[in-house]
Amino acid sequence: MTRQWTKTIRRKAGEWLDLPRDLVLDLPRIIMIGNRQLTIENHRGVDHFGSGLLRLKLDEGKLELSGEDLVIRSILKNEVLIEGVIREIRYLPQ
Amino acid sequence: MQSQVLAWFRGYVEVEIRGRNIETLLNEAAETGCPVWGVRRVGEGTVRLYTDLRSFFSWRPLLRRTECKIHVTSRRGLPFWLARMESRLFFMAGMVLFVFGVYLLSQLVWQVEVSGNERIADEEVAAAAEELGIYRFQWKFRLDEPQRLANELMRRMPGTAWIGVEIRGTKVHIRVVEQTVPEPRPLMSPRHLVASADAVVTEILVEQGQVLVRRNMRVKKGDILVSGQIGDEASGRTVVAKGSVKGLVWYAYTIRSPLAHQHKVYTGAEKTRRYLVLGNRALMVWGYGELPFQTYETSILRKQMKWRKAELPFGWIREQLKEVDVTERTVSESEAKNIGLAQARADVLAKAGALAAVRDEKILHEKIEGGKVYMKVLFEVEQEITRELPIVQGE
Repeated sequence: MTRQWTKTIRRKAGEWLDLPRDLVLDLPRIIMIGNRQLTIENHRGVDHFGSGLLRLKLDEGKLELSGEDLVIRSILKNEVLIEGVIREIRYLPQ
Repeated sequence: MQSQVLAWFRGYVEVEIRGRNIETLLNEAAETGCPVWGVRRVGEGTVRLYTDLRSFFSWRPLLRRTECKIHVTSRRGLPFWLARMESRLFFMAGMVLFVFGVYLLSQLVWQVEVSGNERIADEEVAAAAEELGIYRFQWKFRLDEPQRLANELMRRMPGTAWIGVEIRGTKVHIRVVEQTVPEPRPLMSPRHLVASADAVVTEILVEQGQVLVRRNMRVKKGDILVSGQIGDEASGRTVVAKGSVKGLVWYAYTIRSPLAHQHKVYTGAEKTRRYLVLGNRALMVWGYGELPFQTYETSILRKQMKWRKAELPFGWIREQLKEVDVTERTVSESEAKNIGLAQARADVLAKAGALAAVRDEKILHEKIEGGKVYMKVLFEVEQEITRELPIVQGE
C-alpha cells in the first residue's frame, strides 16, 4: 500500500521535474550493441538461464531474451552484461 | 567486471556448478558481491563460470542453501602458477641461476679493442692496459673510471698524443692517436762536393763544409768545391758537405734544321680488316677487296684469348688502315733557324737539370746545304754544378 503510494509520488515528481525515468522509477536501462552484447541495469536477478533463453526479473514483470550461445559475461548486484547472438527481447507481464 | 590482468594476478578458478536452483545461486552471488564472469550453460542443470580465488570460499554457504554442487575444473593465475613452481623447485632455481649467470657474464670484459695506432703495436697498448687492469675476463666494476684510465695509459705510453678509453657493454675500446714524429734524417757518409763540369762559379750556398771556391772562379770538372774536411790536418774532422753551387757551363751544339717540313694529315678515309689468329697464322675474315688509297697508316689491335694467365693459341686482330695525305711545307731560312734553336734549347735544359737557365747563346757558324740549315751554337747555361764525392776513410 505504502509502496504504491511512494511510487505514484515519485512518478509525479519525475514528470514534474523532467528527470530521467530510469533514475526515478527504477526502470531498467537496456544498452544493446548490435545483437552481440546487451547491458541491463536495474534488474532484479536472473529468473531463468539457458544457452538459448534468458529471463531477468524486473521491478515490474520480466524481460525475456532468446538467442544462441548466451553467456553472462558479468553479473553484479544491479547490472548484468550478456553476450551471444540475441534474436529477441520481450517484456513479460509478471 | 574487473580487468582480466588483475584477475590473473589475484588468481581465479573455473568451476562447474550442478543443481536445480542455479539462477538463485547466481542472484545471491551477485548480491553478496562475489565477482562472477563468463557464465555459460553447458548442459541441463550444469553451468560453468569463473570466479575469484578469494571469494571462492564464501560460496560455500550459498551452495548449501541452494543445494548446488561445485566442482573446480581449472585453476588459473599467478597464485596457482607459483604453487606449481614450488613443486618444481630446481627448475625455478635453474631459471634464477640462469638470469643471474647472464647478469654476471655481462659484468665481465670480453673484448679489448685497440684502434688508431699505426706505429705502436697492438700488443704494446694491450700490455700497458693490462697493467692498469684492462684485460679479458676482468670485472667491469673493478675498472677505474674511463677518463682516469685514459690519463694513466697516456702517461705510461710515450709517443701518443691522446688515448680514449670507452667501455661499451662488454667491450673496452681503446683509441690511440699517435704523435707525429718527424722522420729521422737519412744517415750520410762524409763527402765532398765536386764540380760536375767545367764552369765559372756564379753562386755559392753552403750549409756544411769548407768552401774552397769563390765567385767568378773557373773550375774544372772534378775540382772540389766544398770540402768535407774541416779544420787543419791535426785536429780536423770529416763532415758531410752540403750546399749548392751554381756555375756557368757551356754547351756546343750542331743543329740541322730542314727547310721543308712534311706534314701528315688523315683524310678520314679508312678501312678495317679483321683476322682470326690460330697459333702463328692469321686468317683474314673481313675487309677483302682493293684498297681505295695508296698512302696509309696501320694501327693494329690484337686480342688473345686467355685462360687464367696462360695464353691460348686463339685470338683476333683488328687492323685499321687510315689514309694519310702528306703535304710538304717549305719554311724560310730564319724560321728554320728558330725551330732548330728552340729544339736545341729544350734539349740543353733537359740535360742541365730543372733549375738551369740559358743565359746566353752564340751562333758560331751557319750554312745552308742540301735544303737544310746547319748551325753551330754555343749555349751558356747557369746550372747546379755540384756532384757528391764520398771521402774514403784512411786515405
